[in-house]
Amino acid sequence: MGLPARPGGPGADGITATAVSRSFGQVHAVEHMDFRAPAGKVTALIGPNGAGKTTLLLMLASLLAPDSGTITVEGLDPRRHRAEVRRRIGWMPDTLGVWESLTAREILTQIARFYQLPKAGMAQRVAEMLDRVRLSDLADQPARVLSRGQQQRLSLARALIHDPSVLLLDEPASGLDPGSRVELRVMLRQLAAEGKAIVVSSHVLSELDEIADAAVFVNRGRTIRHQTTDEAAAAGRRYAISATDGAALAAKLTELGLTFRVEDGRRAAVSLMLMNDDDAARLLRDLVLAGVPVRSFAPASGALEETYMNLEGERR
Amino acid sequence: MSQRTEATQRPPARGRGAGYLGGIWDVVVLELKQRLRSRGWYIMLGIWFILTGLVTWLTWAAWNAQREAQRSYSTFTAPETGPGSMIFEVVLAFVLLFALLVAPALSANAVNGDRAGGTLAILQVTLLRPGQILWGKFFAAWAAALAFLVASTPFLIIGVALGGMTPGHVVVALLMLAVEVGVVSAIGVGISALAGRPLFSIVVTYLAVAGLVFGSLIAFGLGTGLSQRTIMANQAQYRSYSPYEPLEEQPAPMEPEYTCSGPLREQPAVHTDRVAWMLAMNPYVVVADAIPYPVRTSNAFGMSSPVGAIESISQGARYAMAGPDGTYPCANGEAKPRYLAQSTPLWPLGLGLQLLLAGLLMWLGWRSLRTPARRLARGTRIA
Ligand SMILES: Nc1ncnc2c1ncn2[C@@H]1O[C@H](COP(=O)(O)OP(=O)(O)OP(=O)(O)O)[C@@H](O)[C@H]1O
Ligand SMILES: [Mg+2]
Repeated sequence: MGLPARPGGPGADGITATAVSRSFGQVHAVEHMDFRAPAGKVTALIGPNGAGKTTLLLMLASLLAPDSGTITVEGLDPRRHRAEVRRRIGWMPDTLGVWESLTAREILTQIARFYQLPKAGMAQRVAEMLDRVRLSDLADQPARVLSRGQQQRLSLARALIHDPSVLLLDEPASGLDPGSRVELRVMLRQLAAEGKAIVVSSHVLSELDEIADAAVFVNRGRTIRHQTTDEAAAAGRRYAISATDGAALAAKLTELGLTFRVEDGRRAAVSLMLMNDDDAARLLRDLVLAGVPVRSFAPASGALEETYMNLEGERR
Repeated sequence: MSQRTEATQRPPARGRGAGYLGGIWDVVVLELKQRLRSRGWYIMLGIWFILTGLVTWLTWAAWNAQREAQRSYSTFTAPETGPGSMIFEVVLAFVLLFALLVAPALSANAVNGDRAGGTLAILQVTLLRPGQILWGKFFAAWAAALAFLVASTPFLIIGVALGGMTPGHVVVALLMLAVEVGVVSAIGVGISALAGRPLFSIVVTYLAVAGLVFGSLIAFGLGTGLSQRTIMANQAQYRSYSPYEPLEEQPAPMEPEYTCSGPLREQPAVHTDRVAWMLAMNPYVVVADAIPYPVRTSNAFGMSSPVGAIESISQGARYAMAGPDGTYPCANGEAKPRYLAQSTPLWPLGLGLQLLLAGLLMWLGWRSLRTPARRLARGTRIA
């Protein structure tokens, strides 16, 4: 693609934000946030509504200027190397914006032109991207008739058309059916394996367990935690256990000296924290051997979700 | 560090200027593709064509009826001038009116419409520069509005074909109409980049157009009231008119047809030249003043009057711009050229001011499109 050689040096890959702040009038959308997404990894950006995720992504995409702080994209300053930075960034907004009367193919072609891709291979590149997001059949329909999920996939193709090395995806999974979510997951892992730095903001935390290598938790405009998925898993996970005989289960757990919580779900169940998978296997064996009629035994939540809920709890 | 800068800052293979124009062209293509696919645009174009045709026909019919009436009630036969000039003028005025009404609708939601639809940020995040987006939107809006002018060309040509006018008139008129539509489009696009909501920017653009058409007249009227001054002038002595000489043999009327004598005295006069620039901003004045007409001297009866509305508007405006120093009989003891010989055009001034206004709005619009954005208009999000 004729990209200039990637600048080397430690910390020069991926995208980094250092102490960025941005306020809109009275609202401090982002305050002194540090963020780093290294190349070859998927970094999740997690936080409640209004936490400042979109604002941070806009600044990373060089659409919004931070009031203070610096951003570097592969070691380049977006203010000074505008075109170079733009070429490296693929951005997928959380709002769906499509030129309704244009077809999917035309939209991608236009975007390719705006990125000044070589004209020779453009049609092929567009077809390739359409194929990648499974829109080839609908390529010549006006974008207006595409369903929400299809528009979302088109938006992803648009972000990828110029083969960027940093991908900023704002809630890419919203509106996707389970099948497309799995596809998205596979695609993102593939892209990360190709060496791209990928930032995903999402609310679907169980998804992120499978995609993300690390997560940055933000709330009220501040980074409150940076954690790799492995760390999150190591910090323990909540398991939900249900048995046809709830009393026997409770008795056995008390006997084992475990603290547990009775969940008020549709079916009677208890939940408890276990440090790792071995602990879980051991407990299950103990319960079964003790004759407790276990009906289900599974992680109650994803690892990241666990952290997220704990943080939510801390807030209150 | 500096090494890297050298390596990475080179623009791509396309030359810089060509690349910039290419980007504008890409935006124009994107915009026009969308417009050409919207049914509303064709419907508007159709209505426009029918309306212009109707006006042309009505004007022609009215002229015919008038001539019939003259034939049957008087023995005096007016010289056959043909309806050309009148049809041309009516159609021109009509086309300009509707062009001024259509252009804001086509341009004033260009940028914030995209912002509302979430497609502006998608453009901004690419390699496109803010200027390319803005120029692209402007040219697309202009082109869409020009289609309306093209649709009305047949009728302007009919006006010419029916007599009295030269093709040059049509060419100049169309050119000036195109420029005026361009000015309004630029104002619309500029405002649309500044205002948050499409509805708001469309209304503001209509107000701006109304300001140019009516506001300029009102401002000029009020301004003349405030520019009452005095002027030094002496007595004008009009040459006597000799009715006995045969009409054909009368020598070419002389300019001026009076002489000045006597002491200079202070006379009240209105310094219209100070406020004529407001009048000059009126699109009708600009168009009328730019259309050429022959310099008319007094006719056989020693009197001269402008022929047709275009000429009247032009002469009136030029008269205002010349001010009392140039038009008051015997101002400063000098004989002045006659009313109808004001030949200093004022459309360059008016057009210049209009372009200044449009340019200013486009520049402000450009500022609001720059990324990374520092200030956002209140209540707008980038995405
Ligand atoms: N242009 C703007 N003008 C004023 N306030 C803004 C603007 N953009 C964002 N905000 C405010 O900044 C805060 C952060 O918004 P942001 O869109 O970044 O949240 P988010 O984390 O993306 O939320 P969500 O999960 O709902 O998408 C919010 O309180 C929002 O109201
Ligand atoms: Mg958001």
